Amino acid sequence: MGSAVRRTLGRLAGALFVLWAVATLTFFAIHLVPGDPAQAILGGPGSQASQEALDRVRADYGLDQPLLVQYFAMLGRLVTGNLGDSYALRMPVAELIGGQLAGTVVLALLALLVAWLLAIGLALWSTAPGRVSRAVAQGVELTAASLPQFWLATVLIAVFSTALGWLPAVSTGTPTGLVLPVITLAVPLAGFLAQLMREHLLIALEQPFALSARARGESATGIRLRHALRHAALPGINLSGWAVGYLISGAVVVETIFARPGLGRTLLRAVELRDVPVVLGVVLLVALVYVVMTFVTDALSRVADPRLRQEARP
Amino acid sequence: MRSASAPVRTNRRLLTLLAAASGATLLLAGCTAAAPEAASTPTAGGTLVYASGDAEPDCLDPHVGGNYPQALVAGQFLESLVSLDEDGAIIPWLATTWTASDDGLTWDFTLRDDVTFTDGTPLNAEAVKVNVEHLKNPDTQSSTGYLALGKVESVEVVDDTTARFHLSTPDSALLESLAQPWVAIESPAGIARGMDENCLAPIGTGPFVVEEWVQQDHLTLARNDDYTSAPADAAHDGAPYLEGIEWRFIPDSASRYAALQSGEVDVIDNAQPDTIAQATKNGSLVEIDAPRPGASNRIELNSSRAPFDDVRVREAFIRAADVNDGIDSLFFGTATRSYSVLSSVEPLGYSDEKLFTTDLDAANSLLDDAGWTTRDSDGYRTKDGKRLTLRFPVSTNQSIPAEQSLFEQIQATAKEAGFEVVISPLDISGWYGALFSDSYELVSAPYTKIGPDVLRTLYDSAGITPAPSGYFANLAQLNDPELDELLRSAASTSDTEERASLYEQAQKIILGGFYALPLYDQQNHFLLSTSVKGARAMPTVSTPTFADAWLSE
Repeated sequence: MGSAVRRTLGRLAGALFVLWAVATLTFFAIHLVPGDPAQAILGGPGSQASQEALDRVRADYGLDQPLLVQYFAMLGRLVTGNLGDSYALRMPVAELIGGQLAGTVVLALLALLVAWLLAIGLALWSTAPGRVSRAVAQGVELTAASLPQFWLATVLIAVFSTALGWLPAVSTGTPTGLVLPVITLAVPLAGFLAQLMREHLLIALEQPFALSARARGESATGIRLRHALRHAALPGINLSGWAVGYLISGAVVVETIFARPGLGRTLLRAVELRDVPVVLGVVLLVALVYVVMTFVTDALSRVADPRLRQEARP
Repeated sequence: MRSASAPVRTNRRLLTLLAAASGATLLLAGCTAAAPEAASTPTAGGTLVYASGDAEPDCLDPHVGGNYPQALVAGQFLESLVSLDEDGAIIPWLATTWTASDDGLTWDFTLRDDVTFTDGTPLNAEAVKVNVEHLKNPDTQSSTGYLALGKVESVEVVDDTTARFHLSTPDSALLESLAQPWVAIESPAGIARGMDENCLAPIGTGPFVVEEWVQQDHLTLARNDDYTSAPADAAHDGAPYLEGIEWRFIPDSASRYAALQSGEVDVIDNAQPDTIAQATKNGSLVEIDAPRPGASNRIELNSSRAPFDDVRVREAFIRAADVNDGIDSLFFGTATRSYSVLSSVEPLGYSDEKLFTTDLDAANSLLDDAGWTTRDSDGYRTKDGKRLTLRFPVSTNQSIPAEQSLFEQIQATAKEAGFEVVISPLDISGWYGALFSDSYELVSAPYTKIGPDVLRTLYDSAGITPAPSGYFANLAQLNDPELDELLRSAASTSDTEERASLYEQAQKIILGGFYALPLYDQQNHFLLSTSVKGARAMPTVSTPTFADAWLSE
């Protein structure tokens, strides 16, 4: 058996372990938080459920079973690929997630793209020779990276919707409605990425290969674009796995503020209602994406860095 | 419209913040009083965009569960047998007349004979019977509607237009119950489709029809061109002027307000005190202030055990808590202090301001009398080595930020008397969890219902179920046989004067026993663009109706 196959199998086992651990932790965490899903199922705030109705709901959804029984029932369901039905919305979780997925994927991918473009631009600009831009860029990066999303969103709405009237304050289902949510998610992420890339760009520029390229007559811009950027991109690529987590947690905030349909809002509502199957479904999906992303960033790192390809060969 | 202007209050002791607050109040009163005039003639057409800050319903059929978010939207496409006018009197809607037998056990409702549901099914006595059975069927999982029909045993079809309700005991609240949107009448053919399908688009007789529901985004409501069944107090008969309504869900209050300001939406609900003050200042927006019926917003004091099993401690807390200054500074004149456990829109509400005057000295001597004489190093009172601690779970879904701040001010003022108030902000499920495990001494739980019978739900000892599993609405855990007797008699008497007197006596017991600290009416503010004309809040449970609305411009 080749080492590549062994490595893939190992990875697969690791991925399954991660998914199991995530499901287990989520399941027990949501049950540790005090709450009564039966009440939430029967209408939540302002409704006045009768005892009979509550008992019935608890029996229907198995909420009267011991926690461990509920846990193994859940595992059994998951193993067969069944995510179960939402308590509150009375529809299959897979269908619910399927309906909300597109909104979040579009938002997250656009934000990731914009963040990368901003980060690369900022990193290149700040490392250009003969400029005072470095200190400025450092300040900008730090500020961007530490901006709370809800604050940024509020300011963007106040400026671009309320004051200038250029962009809608809430999602309209049109491309213009995407601009502010994407910027809100992208800016702090770009701050992180740019910080990391600038640091590595500077390190790369001090390497002997940069000097020899310069000696061959390569321009300063050429060195940064054709040689150093590759080095600087590596940590950024590796960070993209983490970025998935950031983007999903960001989606909770952004989708709520901009009233966009999506997984973030679905998750928030499910947690509030203790809608366990939906919470598990969304969290497992995020974990799966995370696992897949680490595969992908790993492969991308190999493309960007030939040394990794060398090491992999037996 | 329930009330168009906020009263300007004077005579409060606060000095610094009052200036700002009352300035806002004056502006507010000036703007709202002049605003919603139906001056021009209605023009047909256009789509109104409504943005709701309430939770998106899980099911659009208000028979299922039964909460306020469902009532908000269902009012656009479902209608009830009767309605209320602005004075709280019952008026005809789908039923034109009704008579009760002398023993109060049989009620005959005569229905309109010219109404059909939007699927073509005729409205008749059989349809009413099907609806009542649907509400009483445990499979429907009805909570609010089920309670409203608690005394209705069955409905008999006398003829096509006469539905006879058979009651187990006389019910003086029957008409008020039937006016609620949670017992609205739906097409029997729609109900027969089963819960899943009916939840997505219930079929009614209302001015609009559910066309599409994109979950977590919007509902599209289309005009019912054949609409004929407006309630008796409507401004016009026949199809609505609007082509339709786009009903959106925007949970964040700042975004909701921004969308209204920029013209993306025409109407928002759950407007916050600061935005109301700001909006009415520039005159480009109109406010509808429609407090909800039923109970006022109040803090219940759990009287089932120490420390609040002692009336002196309850009174001490109420005397120590400075509510008025908090309301003045935090609500910008949009909320009026209440001294009643019933909403100000309830004609039978009883107020007693002098029971709730703030008096720190009185609070301190009451606590001394009650044996809470020592103080620990943090300044809190103790008795037998135990600190005077009050747990206060707060629902962040139900208490707006201004209210949460008010609770913090109450916490601070109660501390001066030696109370330790521990506020726990919780999401909705956690909050229910805290209530049902009986781990609270203070709690604020809104309750919307038409009529004073809400007192029986909230303060009858039958509403105390032993923890930990049971639901109970008597959160003060008030257990007084005399009160029970008054509330039960009031619920079954057919004599209106006797009913009023019984409810007054009952409220005197509740207020005088210091079981609850009333704050203000359940706040319910809508902001409208000035181009929206003819919109109003229903006098039933204060949900908006757009049957008479049109867009000028």
